[in-house]
This record gives sequence, C-alpha cells and structure tokens, in this order.
Amino acid sequence: MGAALRWLTLAILTAYTAFAAGPFVWVATMSVRTTSEIALDHYAWPAVWHWDKFPTAWFKSNYNVYFGNSLIVVLSAVAILTVAGAMAAHCFARYRFRGNRLLYFVIFSAIIFPPQITIIALFQILVQYGLYNSLAGLIAVYVAVQLPLTVYILESFFARIPGDLFDAARIDGYSEWEILWKVSLPIALPAISTTVILNTILLWNEFLYAVVLITDDAKRTLPLGIQRFLGDQLEDVGMIATGLIIAIVPVVLIYAFFSEKLIQGMTAGAVK
Amino acid sequence: MRKLKWVLVSVVLGWSLTASAQVKVTMWSHWAAEKIKRDYVEDAIRRFEAANPGVKIEASWYEKTALYAALKTALRAGTAPDFFYAEPDQFEYMENGLLLDLSSLNWSAIEPWAKEAWSYKGKPYGVPLEAWTVEVYYNRKTLGELGVKVPANLQLDSQGFLDLAKKARAKNATPMSLGVGDRPFPGAHLTHEALLKRLGVQDYDNLLKGKLSWSDPRVVETLTLVKTWVDAGVLPTTFTSLKLGEAHTYFHTKPGAAMFLNGSWYTSRAFNAPDQGGQPVDFPLGIMKFPAIPNAACNECRTIAVGGSYVGNAATKQPKHVLAFLNAFATPEMGNRWLEQVLVQTGIKADPSKISGPHAGYFKELAATSQGAKYYFGIPIQVMQGKPKEVFTQVINNAFPAGTITVDEVVKQMNAAYK
Amino acid sequence: MRVSVDRQPWGAISAFLLPAFTVYVALTAYPVLRTFYNSFHRVLPRKGDELVGFANYAELARDEIFWRAVRNTIFWACASPLAEITIALLLAVALYARIPGMRFFRIAWFTPVLMSYIVVGIIWVWIYNYDWGAANAILRAVGLDGLTRAWLGDPKVALPALVFVTSWMWAGFNMVVLLAALHSLPSEVIEAAELDNCGWAGKLWFVIIPLIKPTILNLLVLSFIGKMKIFDLVWITTKGGPLWSTETVSTYLYKRAFEWTTFDLGYPSTIATVWFVIVLAAVLSLTWLFRQRDRLEY
Repeated sequence: MGAALRWLTLAILTAYTAFAAGPFVWVATMSVRTTSEIALDHYAWPAVWHWDKFPTAWFKSNYNVYFGNSLIVVLSAVAILTVAGAMAAHCFARYRFRGNRLLYFVIFSAIIFPPQITIIALFQILVQYGLYNSLAGLIAVYVAVQLPLTVYILESFFARIPGDLFDAARIDGYSEWEILWKVSLPIALPAISTTVILNTILLWNEFLYAVVLITDDAKRTLPLGIQRFLGDQLEDVGMIATGLIIAIVPVVLIYAFFSEKLIQGMTAGAVK
Repeated sequence: MRKLKWVLVSVVLGWSLTASAQVKVTMWSHWAAEKIKRDYVEDAIRRFEAANPGVKIEASWYEKTALYAALKTALRAGTAPDFFYAEPDQFEYMENGLLLDLSSLNWSAIEPWAKEAWSYKGKPYGVPLEAWTVEVYYNRKTLGELGVKVPANLQLDSQGFLDLAKKARAKNATPMSLGVGDRPFPGAHLTHEALLKRLGVQDYDNLLKGKLSWSDPRVVETLTLVKTWVDAGVLPTTFTSLKLGEAHTYFHTKPGAAMFLNGSWYTSRAFNAPDQGGQPVDFPLGIMKFPAIPNAACNECRTIAVGGSYVGNAATKQPKHVLAFLNAFATPEMGNRWLEQVLVQTGIKADPSKISGPHAGYFKELAATSQGAKYYFGIPIQVMQGKPKEVFTQVINNAFPAGTITVDEVVKQMNAAYK
Repeated sequence: MRVSVDRQPWGAISAFLLPAFTVYVALTAYPVLRTFYNSFHRVLPRKGDELVGFANYAELARDEIFWRAVRNTIFWACASPLAEITIALLLAVALYARIPGMRFFRIAWFTPVLMSYIVVGIIWVWIYNYDWGAANAILRAVGLDGLTRAWLGDPKVALPALVFVTSWMWAGFNMVVLLAALHSLPSEVIEAAELDNCGWAGKLWFVIIPLIKPTILNLLVLSFIGKMKIFDLVWITTKGGPLWSTETVSTYLYKRAFEWTTFDLGYPSTIATVWFVIVLAAVLSLTWLFRQRDRLEY
C-alpha cells in the first residue's frame, strides 16, 4: 500500500472516530463544567475541573436511587434470563422430540414482535395482579422481552457442540440435569457470557416498558431518571451532562472489559 | 417466656391501634417549581390539620407532565391519591366517573362561571383555586429605550405592536418571549386572543366548536395579521423548543425580551428568588393588554380560564375528610389570601380592593388590564376535545407561530380536523 | 447429533422448557391475544369492556395521523439501514488492512450503539440547537450560513435529522460486523480479484459484495426491524412533532393510550394490532426477497 493510501486511510480513520466518539467527549467535558461556564462557550476545554458535580448529581438529584433500581432490575432479569434461556436452548438443541422445531419457532418469532403489540395488555395484566409500578413486575417483563433473543443465540451455539460428548456422558451415567450442568454449560460459556453482556446492555438502556410500567419516583430506573432530569426550568446543561456521564460509565466499562467477547458473539450471529 | 410474648404482642397491637387512629389522606399536585402556590396550599394543609387533629395530609409535589402521566395510569390501576390537582380540560376524568361529586361544597363562595368550568352533567367536580387571564408583560425600561409609549388604555393597536416588534428586531433583540417546548397552550395565545377580539365571544365559541368554518373571511384576515407579526420575527428563534420555565427567564433575565405573552400566573414563577428562576430584584415590570385588532367585534374581549384546581378521587376511602379539606377553600378569606400571596386571580369570590402587602401595586396593575373586560371562559384546549384539539395544538400552538406553515394550510388543516 | 427418538426423557425436557415457556405464555403470548381482544372493544376503567366490533378499525382507516406515522416509520426503516450499511461497507473496505490499535478504534466506533437512546437523544438535541449546537456551528464556521436551520423544529428536515442520528449510531456497529465478515473471507479470493486488475469500484461490486452478501442482508433486516420499533429517540427529541413529521407508530400509540383525553385502551390496541400485521408482512417479504438462491462456493 502506497504512502498516500496509508495517509488517506489514517485520515478516514481519524475523521470517523471523531464523528463517532466526538459527541461523547464533548459531553464528558461539559460534565465537569458549570452551566454558566458552558453558556459562555459551549465547546471550550474545561478550565476548572468541577469534580464535585458528580456527588451532587448522585445524591441531590436522586441518581443513587435510580442507579440502584436499574442495578436490581437488570441483574435480576439477566440472571433469570440466563438460567431459563440456557435450559430452554439446551433442550431445543439436544433433544429431538415432536414439536421441537415448532416450539422453537414460536419463541424465536417473537424477536420481530414490535413492543406495541404487548405493551397495553402488559399494563392491564400487571395492574390486575398488583405488579404495576413494582420492580418485580418490570423484571418479569424484561425477562419476557429478551427471552427470544437469548434462546436464539444460545440455541445456535449449543447445537454446534459435538454430540459425542453427550453420548459419552450418558454412557458414564450422567443424568439429564448433570449433562446440562457439567457438559453443555461449561463449553457454552462464551455464548452465555455474550448473552449476559448483551442483555445487560440492552436492559440497562431500556426505556419504553419502564416509562409505561413505572411511575413512582422511588422506583424509576436510570433512563427514566435522566428523562425526568430535563426539568421544566432553566435547562441545567451542566448537570444534565454530569448525569449522562453517570449513566454511560457502567456501560462503557462493561464494554471496555468484555469488548472482544461481545463483538465475537454479536458478529458470529450476524455473519453467516 | 410465653407471657413475655403475649406482652409484646399486646404492646405492638396497642401501638398500631393508636397509630391507626391518625387518618392519612394523600394528595398529588402540580406546582413543585412554583413556590408561592405551593406555600399557599401547604399553609391550607397546616390550618386544616390544626383544626382536625388526627388527620394527616400527605402531599406529593410534581411537575405537570409527570403528574398527568402518573395520574392517568394510577387512576386506571386504582392506586391514585385521595385528592389531586387537575385542570378543567381533563374531561376524561369526569366522563369516566373518576371524580368525587362536590355538590355539597359551599358554592355560594365560588364564582358561578368558575363552578361552570368544573360542571359535568349538572354536578361540580373541582374547586377552582386558580383563574388566569392572558396578559402581555413587558419590560418598561426596554420599551422606553425603543421609544414606545403604552397608551393610557393599556392597549397598543396592531400597527403599534408590529412597529414595536420591528424596532426590537432592528436592535437584534427578541420582541416577545414565548415557548412551546413543553406545553400545548402558550403558542396559541398569540392567535386565539386575536381571533376572540375579531369575532366576539359567540362566534369565537362557534369557531372552536366546529360550528364556524375556519375559511370565514374574518378568521382568514386575523390569521393573516398574526402571520405578519410572526414574519416580522416577533417570537424567539428557539420558540419550538423553548420550555415554559425557560421562556420566563428568556424574558426577564437572559437574553431579555421586550414583552412576554403569558398567563397572569406569571408571578408564581417570576416572584421566586432570582436564583430559583425568578425575575431580578427591581425588574421594571409592566402589564398591558393584548393589542387591538382592526375591525374587531370586541377589543375588550379577553380569555379567562380556570387553572389549577383540586378534585377528589371517586374511589377515595376518606371522602369525608377530602370534602372537608376542599370545602375549606371556599371562603372569602382563602380567596383573598390567594390573591395576596399568589397574585393571580382566583375562582373563589374575593375582594381585590382589600389586598395589602408588598405586591399590592402589582395587583392593581393586573386588575387595570381587566377593567371593562368582556370574558370568554376557557382557553381553546379546555374547550376542544379529541382530534380537533390535537390538530389545534400542532397547528395553532406549534407550527403557525413558528412560521412553518401558511395561513391557507392552517385553514385547511383546521377545517379537516372537525370532519 | 440428537438423542434417538425412542428414549425421550420427557421429565427433563418439560422441566427445561417450563420456566421459559411460563414467562413467554404469560407475558408475551397472552398479551398479544389480549391486545387483539381489546381492539374489538372499548376498554375503560370502572366499566366492563364494551364490544364495538369493527368500529375501531373503521376509525383507524380514516385516521390520517396514524397513516402519517406509518409512512414516517417505514421511511425511517428503509432509509436508515441503507445509509448505515452503505457507510459501514465503504468504511469497512477502506479500513480492511489491519491497523495497529484496531481494538481501541473498535471501542470508539461501537460506543454510540451502547448508549441508551435517551442519552443519544439529549446529546443530539444539543447538537441540533439552533443557536449554539455543533451542527449549525460547523456550518457557520465553513461559511454555509444559509444552510443553518432549526433542525428539529422544521417539519421538512426533522425526520431526516433523526434518521441521521440513527445512522450515526448504527454505522459503527455495522462496520465492525462487516469488517469481521471481510476478515473471515479467505485472503486468496481478495488477492485473486486484485490480480484481475479490476478497478476499485469494480472489485467492490463484483467480488466483495457478493461474498459477504449474507451478512449484509442479515444486517439490513436486523436494522429494519430495529427501526420499525423505534420510540425512545423520538420521545426524547421531538415527541412526534413538529406537525407530525416525526410521528412514529410507537409514539402515536403511546399518546393515544396515555396522553389523549380519554382512558380508552381499545383504539390504541387496534393501532397495535394493525401495526403488528404490517411489521410481520414487511419482515416476511424482506426475508423472502433476500432468500439465498444460490450459495457462492469458495
């Protein structure tokens, strides 16, 4: 590759990276400046780094409550999803029984359902069973929402495990449960970690179900908290920026640590 | 050991019984950001609790859009509070039987037209605490600098108004602050006050209710007039996204505008401390009437609307206490106290001449703009429902003042909305 | 290899499927049916459901706002995937050669996708701000003042502005996937194309695209489905305005269900049902359109 081509590539690289990551860098700089400083020059580099804005946003704007709620909801939902999804996926992949493909298709097809088709009825159902405006209700709904994708990703992975392993295990006298626990799961760990990371990120950011099913301020999840933060008064750009960074940081951390696994998992699904 | 257990049980039982002797009544309300209104209501709560020992009112303060969303779902779910804030445009509460019948209240202390705003099938459902008119607030100093003199009758004519707008723009200032970022009604004030004056009370009512076509030449003439104002740049460039609270500070603090078209409840935000969104100390505030419209049927016509009110939840377990609390508002003292402290009109019968206190001067000025007025009761979105209301909001509140559609488009869309 | 047909541990099978199916039936399948049921009724609080037959559907057929929302959403679901994947493809091909620090770059490109639509929405409302937003600031800096406008306030450009935002979000994701696909191709094929001396564009069109066609089509369908569901971004930026130019089916449904002056849930359910049918039809047509007719052997 000629030198000119190399420079061109570098130029494209830098330009696109700036385009993709630029807005976040901008918000990050705004998160440590006060609103009045920002009003003077929206794009200046911070002169004084107001780190104290973070504790202020955390405590005074109830971010600790929203963050905590998101944590509870997401961790519970992902845990249940992983267990239920792995069990179902293992079953679909390993056992041939009448209705196997039909049942799999029934769950898998739900991936294309638009949320609107269920949201109104979910509202009615949760109200009926007293789960409206509760974290438990939201967790249950989140599990239902992400189940099809989870089962899909896990099933395709489980199906690729060579059958000899299972025959060997069966000959060794393993029960069906032990086969799942000791044979399938350890091998499928990469796929499972992919679904865990994927579900965590998707549910951490989920907004529509939360906004319909949660109205109590004490039970709000983080995306709802941020939306509420856009109050009716002076647009406190500085504080909103701080809040956004608080919301972004966990996701970026997860991604930075697990990026390879995640990309492999997501691309493996899309690349055929 | 067993004896100890029984002692403990009876102690706990006894304690919980005495604790339950205190009745808890829940309330949700708007005005989280409007201190003087909140203070007034919290004061009323304190008085009520003092007069009724054993009753505790638990108030939760919200911002309006969040309140409406929470109420809508809570009422459906049966988890709504015992009484709450509402405005008369919420027909759906009354239509679905969700409100407590307030017929037993002392209605002789309430203005009849305010009671009418809250009546459904002959029964009243809300206590009309707040009433407001659409006013043109202005900065005396700015107008002086622009060389504009407000006439003695407090009403510019439409040419004078247009000139004022042009002069302000020539100096790179915004003539009139207004924003529809988070409310469905402010933008419409510019048009509906003009239409009301041109058509008079009866035809304006017909127009809103679909009995008069929007193609009527008087309507088209008025819309064209308003369009000249819009095209002259009378409103801020950020009109579409400017929020209500921001529109206030846009007018009195930064960047500052010559005028502000707002309901008379302006004071409930502007008289907060400056660092809480209030106007600067010593701000040269003036009030004038909406400009006169040429060939108007009635230039002294203006809109008065019932605003914040309190309604009872039909499913409340404490109807007696709710009715008692709401009834406590229906006295001339409470009405006068509202006028004095909140400086906005009220639906309770009150005597404005008795107002004293630091802001009495302001209130006299406010009363002056309503002198000799002929009222139309309700802003358009309180009078309209369903599709016409939605189209009205999108067209007259948002798009038309933003200058993004023509008069013909407006007429076409509005006429189609009533079909 | 699967267990032979004659020995089915039914106990284990049902136990494995039970949790997933309980949740699925209770919170996915049943709600879908309940929504169908609602669509034929007027659903009000404190009253039983009142059967109204096809009245809701008749009203829906006349509802211009709904059809406007459908057009907007379908436009979005067609335009955004095309933009995302075209940009992603060009970038992937340009960056095909292994670059040092690839891992860092990938994190940077993936970041928009990881953020909640709420976060992205707020950031872009600021970027599109007429007075101080980056979009207009950049235009003014290069002297294109005439092109500045209130991006989210002008009915003619609001929807394209939002499509731009989703393209910005997803281009990075698509690019990473396409790069992985390109790298999974055996290098002899790429080299063979270079030997053939076809131009850069020809190489792209005749060699590379057909080889990774399955991936591209997958991404298109995925992106299409995603945009048909969009709600959060519109809700936090324009809420469907101005003048319904960004109204999507999801925002309109939310408004009819929770913001109009009515408690009726029947009509919104009708909207949901009709939309469900439209989405199903669209996805099925796409997958039929994109079905693999012949596999490329290499």
